[in-house]
Amino acid sequence: MSQMHGRVSKRDLIRYGLAGGLAMPWFAAPRALAQGQGSSLPSGVTDAAFQLGMSAAFSGPSRGLGIELYRGASAYFTAVNNGGGVGGRRISLTIYDDGYQPDPAVKNTLKLMLEDRVFLLFGYVGTPTVTRVLPVLKKFQDQNTYLFFPFTGAQPQRQPPYGDFAFNLRASYAQETKGLVDNFLRVGRRRIAVFYQADAYGRSGWAGVRKALDQHGERIIGEATYRRGQKFTGTLRAQVEMLKTSKPDAVICVGAYAACAAFVRDAVNLGLQVPIANLSFVGSENLLKLLTEEREDSRQYTDLLVNSQVVPSYEDVSIPAVKEYRELMQRYDPEPPAGLVRESYTPFPYSFVSLEGFLNAKLLVEILHRLGDQPSRQRLESAIFSVRDFDLGIGEQVSFSPERRQGLQRVYYTVVNEGRFVTLDDWEAKFPA
Amino acid sequence: MAIPKVQKLFQKTLFGVFSLFGLIGLSTSVLCVYTVDTHLSAEYESNSKDIAKTIADSSVDILLNRDLATLQSLIDQFVEIQGINYIYITDETGVFLAHTFVPGIPEVIREGDPSNTATVQRSLPGMGDFVEVGSPILAGVGGAVHVGMDTGLVALKIQRAIGQQIYLISIVFVVGVFAAVWFVNLAARPLGELLAYAVALARDGEKAPPSESLLRRNDEAGQLARLLLHCAGFTDADNERGLAAPGEAQ
Repeated sequence: MSQMHGRVSKRDLIRYGLAGGLAMPWFAAPRALAQGQGSSLPSGVTDAAFQLGMSAAFSGPSRGLGIELYRGASAYFTAVNNGGGVGGRRISLTIYDDGYQPDPAVKNTLKLMLEDRVFLLFGYVGTPTVTRVLPVLKKFQDQNTYLFFPFTGAQPQRQPPYGDFAFNLRASYAQETKGLVDNFLRVGRRRIAVFYQADAYGRSGWAGVRKALDQHGERIIGEATYRRGQKFTGTLRAQVEMLKTSKPDAVICVGAYAACAAFVRDAVNLGLQVPIANLSFVGSENLLKLLTEEREDSRQYTDLLVNSQVVPSYEDVSIPAVKEYRELMQRYDPEPPAGLVRESYTPFPYSFVSLEGFLNAKLLVEILHRLGDQPSRQRLESAIFSVRDFDLGIGEQVSFSPERRQGLQRVYYTVVNEGRFVTLDDWEAKFPA
Repeated sequence: MAIPKVQKLFQKTLFGVFSLFGLIGLSTSVLCVYTVDTHLSAEYESNSKDIAKTIADSSVDILLNRDLATLQSLIDQFVEIQGINYIYITDETGVFLAHTFVPGIPEVIREGDPSNTATVQRSLPGMGDFVEVGSPILAGVGGAVHVGMDTGLVALKIQRAIGQQIYLISIVFVVGVFAAVWFVNLAARPLGELLAYAVALARDGEKAPPSESLLRRNDEAGQLARLLLHCAGFTDADNERGLAAPGEAQ
């Protein structure tokens, strides 16, 4: 993979402008550069590279999500670039940090589309961010800039009026919450409460739980919220006390790892001893790390955890894509993007989030291959719709069509065993009523 | 001849000036509080109603699509506006579809009538006092939007306005006090001289006339000085000789 960078500096723009000014009117230089330095190729593609744009959380309490997603994708892109790229073109990422906040995400997107003129957008993180970015894509729909495989299971990018501007690989939050609710009810835990982030992500998960319970004639028995950006060091006792009054049989958390870990900690400390479920977005490894590091009694905090995942366990090396993922992660051990990560962060050797990033990258490379020798944004849709029963290597075939803009449907459930997340096979045994 | 200070004569005047000043300050402050409170409250309420209506109007398609994440995203943007403290949306059956409360929906709101979109005053434990306005969605068949405006912010703005006014009045007051004292002293000086002369005349039968500057004054102090001089037996010739005073005393 080519050199990744955080921002296009003014110096770069001046340099390009000066270089262009030797051969053509100066004001045309940046555009010509973006359009492939005089070739007939569209913006974001040169004879040497595909330029992709990414805006994600690389700072703040949820930075682990952006970093791990990037690392997984980076491992695969690096392998592809080292093997000669896609049709001789390397894959390059322009990356910006949005801190998991909507306004910076919108600004970054505009910059990627209008200034950097990337070929496509890839690997965005979060519902509140993506939800606000979608209208931008619609506003500039004549540019055919699509968002590929955002790290969110929310509905807005899966349905009208914005569904046409994004392609999803992972299962939705509606599928994750339905699976959790169905399994809890199946083992006799009917009183479900929800702890969720007070934003579009939390609401998406809340709506999924509500809908799933409604199908069983049940309703959410209690709910509590927290503000996005909640740190692990903060207290969530008020939320726990609120939920305790509803006497739940289980709690489904729709949040990020710092807040959910704080909630689990306070729930256990205040005696709320019920299964606590988290969605895939939580970032399981970061959650587990917060709950276990520097604790001798960590089992009490992790025994009742159950996390839904949208990718298989990275421990299962019998799965071909997992084996490939582990090999490439081990070989390249991608660093967090230089210049963007200013707070301390220790990457995980393997994680569900980086595996998802890896699979996202793998499918995207396949789509870029299908664009052929004359890649264009206009052909992206047809390229992805040509993906039918594609074997990504995880045992589930991937298909896309105009009516099907989500590649994978399967949800996995994991619990903590001996300090790591493993697949949950028997709900009755783990969570008896 | 020592000149005694003339204070008593002007004390009531100064007291009257200060009292009037206080009355003006107080009345303008009360008027200011009333005006700012009325106008700000009306403005915030009007803005909140506009916001509620805007959300209600733009929620219809979103609600029909059952896209609650987008609905939440919509109200999250509006709640960033200063003065707007909370927003919640209910469906036609009263179920809360989206809200901005943390850590949860207050009991008083949960138990209220969400179909009622009239403006109400709310006091929410742990949150403060609010004016809540509402707007029906699709004439109420789609639910309702409620927007809570923080009255604390209005109170804060009133406090600021009053504070600024008091600051201004205080400056004017201090300047006014110094100016009043200066003017009073200026007016009291000839009277002091006159009083000193009268005291000396009564005590010692002093023949020496008052100061020339006093006798030359064209005001009441000058007239009194010349009258006292006359009473003390000074003749017009004396006057003409050394104390040429203007017309009336002759």
